[in-house]
Amino acid sequence: MDAEERELLEQTLRKTMSGASGPVLDASLADLGWAEMLAEEPGTAIPLVFRLLGETGAHASVLNDIVLRETGGPPGRTPALPYTGGLWVEWARDGSADDCPLDPSLPLRRVAAGGAVPLAEGRRALGWWLLGTGRAMLALARRHVLDRHQFGRPLASFQALRHRLAEAYVGLEGAEAVLTATGDDDTCALLAKAAAGRAALTAARHCQQALGGIGFTAEHDLHRHVKRALVLDGLLGSARDLTREAGSLLLREGRTPRLVDL
Amino acid sequence: MRTAEFRRELRAWLDGHDLAPGDDHGLDAQVAQLARVRRALWEADWMRYGWPREVGGLGGPGVLRAVLGEEVASRDLAEPGIWSMVEVLVPTLIDYAPPALAAEMVPRLLSGREQWCQGFSEPGSGSDLASLSTRAVRDNGGDWVVSGQKVWTSLAQYAARCVLLARTGGPGHDGISAFFVDMDSPGITVRPLRTMHGVDEFAEVFLDEVRVPGERLLGAPGDGWKLAMDLLPHERSTCFWHRIAHLHSRLDRLLADGCEPDAGALGAAWLDLHTARCRSALTQRALAEGGRLGPETSVDKILLATAEQRLFDTARDLLPGTVELTDEGAWRTEYLYSRAATIYGGTAEIQRNIAARRLLDLGKE
Ligand SMILES: Cc1cc2nc3c(=O)[nH]c(=O)nc-3n(C[C@H](O)[C@H](O)[C@H](O)COP(=O)(O)OP(=O)(O)OC[C@H]3O[C@@H](n4cnc5c(N)ncnc54)[C@H](O)[C@@H]3O)c2cc1C
Repeated sequence: MDAEERELLEQTLRKTMSGASGPVLDASLADLGWAEMLAEEPGTAIPLVFRLLGETGAHASVLNDIVLRETGGPPGRTPALPYTGGLWVEWARDGSADDCPLDPSLPLRRVAAGGAVPLAEGRRALGWWLLGTGRAMLALARRHVLDRHQFGRPLASFQALRHRLAEAYVGLEGAEAVLTATGDDDTCALLAKAAAGRAALTAARHCQQALGGIGFTAEHDLHRHVKRALVLDGLLGSARDLTREAGSLLLREGRTPRLVDL
Repeated sequence: MRTAEFRRELRAWLDGHDLAPGDDHGLDAQVAQLARVRRALWEADWMRYGWPREVGGLGGPGVLRAVLGEEVASRDLAEPGIWSMVEVLVPTLIDYAPPALAAEMVPRLLSGREQWCQGFSEPGSGSDLASLSTRAVRDNGGDWVVSGQKVWTSLAQYAARCVLLARTGGPGHDGISAFFVDMDSPGITVRPLRTMHGVDEFAEVFLDEVRVPGERLLGAPGDGWKLAMDLLPHERSTCFWHRIAHLHSRLDRLLADGCEPDAGALGAAWLDLHTARCRSALTQRALAEGGRLGPETSVDKILLATAEQRLFDTARDLLPGTVELTDEGAWRTEYLYSRAATIYGGTAEIQRNIAARRLLDLGKE
């Protein structure tokens, strides 16, 4: 896919995701050739689709496809996915959720403990989703501080808020670098999801603060992204779990792996 | 030469040539060691790769310099902070000095024959560099006469030359020019300052009617601000790669020194370092593809400074008492030095101001 085709695909996907979510979006993605994209150009398709899910606030059950691709199982199933705290969930394809997840639109169901599944690709995909969610929050906060005035000046002129948003931005840029530099290595994927989870949670904190009272209301979109970031962070290992796992690896090996090179 | 091949051959060469520093970690010894390493690398040509032929280099991509510095830092042959002056000042000279001057001077720095320094900050002008007040006035013969004071000038006490900013015009950015000044010129007094980490790396520089020949002006009158801004990305690309390599070696040392096995803290320190490394790798790539680096390097700077301080905070936590009660393994010195990471090269706050203004486009404060 060349740059122009990728740009076109991004526009199409963004438009699709802005109008549909859940099973409807699953169907639209299938029509757009998701299965072929995943088979032929996973390196383009996964980052793009998952980041756009985050940016648009839509959701689809595509994580199942990523995990199944890695396990080599038959498509269409819903594998049990590890959640933080030793819990397990599945991502229902029919869009229904029975427990009451923090993010009520996500069709996550608690299930009995499943078997070990390879997680690298799923973690990387979720990392892109978290990055997109973080960018969505930052875009909302940025717009708000430019538009709203207090003390006769735009909120954007207050350094305390500028620095918070800069902090959110730097975290997201760092996470994107980690996601981009990811090779096929499990450790790269682990660090990528940890970085993205942490960046999304940092963005949530700073953006929530910059939005003040309006960001606490149900009619403002912020809370949807905040809740999504919290839920996605726990899936396939939270930033805290993964960071600790990275530290255990250091203690085991006694040396820091240099995972990217020039 | 290709990067991987360069790295392989360089490693083989370094394995066969013992350039390890001695036991003396004082600054005199460090600076002498720096000169020794440079001389050896220059004579064996390693120091020439990635620099243009016009200044004594062998050409090739600049990324080779990042690889060289990484090997030097990873083997602890020279402290990356003092090594970095090359990466900051040579590109500046290449871009702004008259070609003959650059051709004459650059090999002296690369080969370890000389040290140079960077005289920007003044007692009244740190973050607000554009307010600097050291003055340069042109005399009838076309020479410049410079008077004023610089401060926190790293390695000034060892330096043969200084890239110096001085005001030649009115107030503000446009009135600033840059000069390449011989540090043995009459009228220059250097007074070393004590630092809190005990390695007295910087000094005050007093300039009292110092004559600087006309051909030592860098660029045109009024180009000083532009030079300073062009220099920052150099400071934040290749040098950062070296520093990140150095910090990875310190995380290794922490593990080797039998730190408390706090997986969460160690993982967090590594995650920060890995993030800085991934970001810097992208920056090196952008540079290699001919991109001009701009305000986005503030992101690299924030990530690196944050990673550096977290690493040494973690070391202090997981080797309890070491920083305070012993000076084994240089943890105390390096812990203290890491406190400066959010100050030198543009403070943490200035970087966030730049990110807010230039990268997030939030308008004026
Ligand atoms: C180890 C070390 C080596 C150095 N080497 C050199 C060298 O070789 N050559 C050289 O020229 N200089 C050198 N410096 C100087 C360095 O560049 C300055 O210290 C730095 O630019 C900050 O200036 P300042 O110290 O005057 O602090 P100030 O500018 O006075 O800042 C003090 C505090 O105020 C904050 N602040 C200032 N302005 C703003 C603002 N607009 N918004 C928010 N906060 C603000 C700063 O972030 C900082 O926290 C070195 C410094 C150190 C520590």
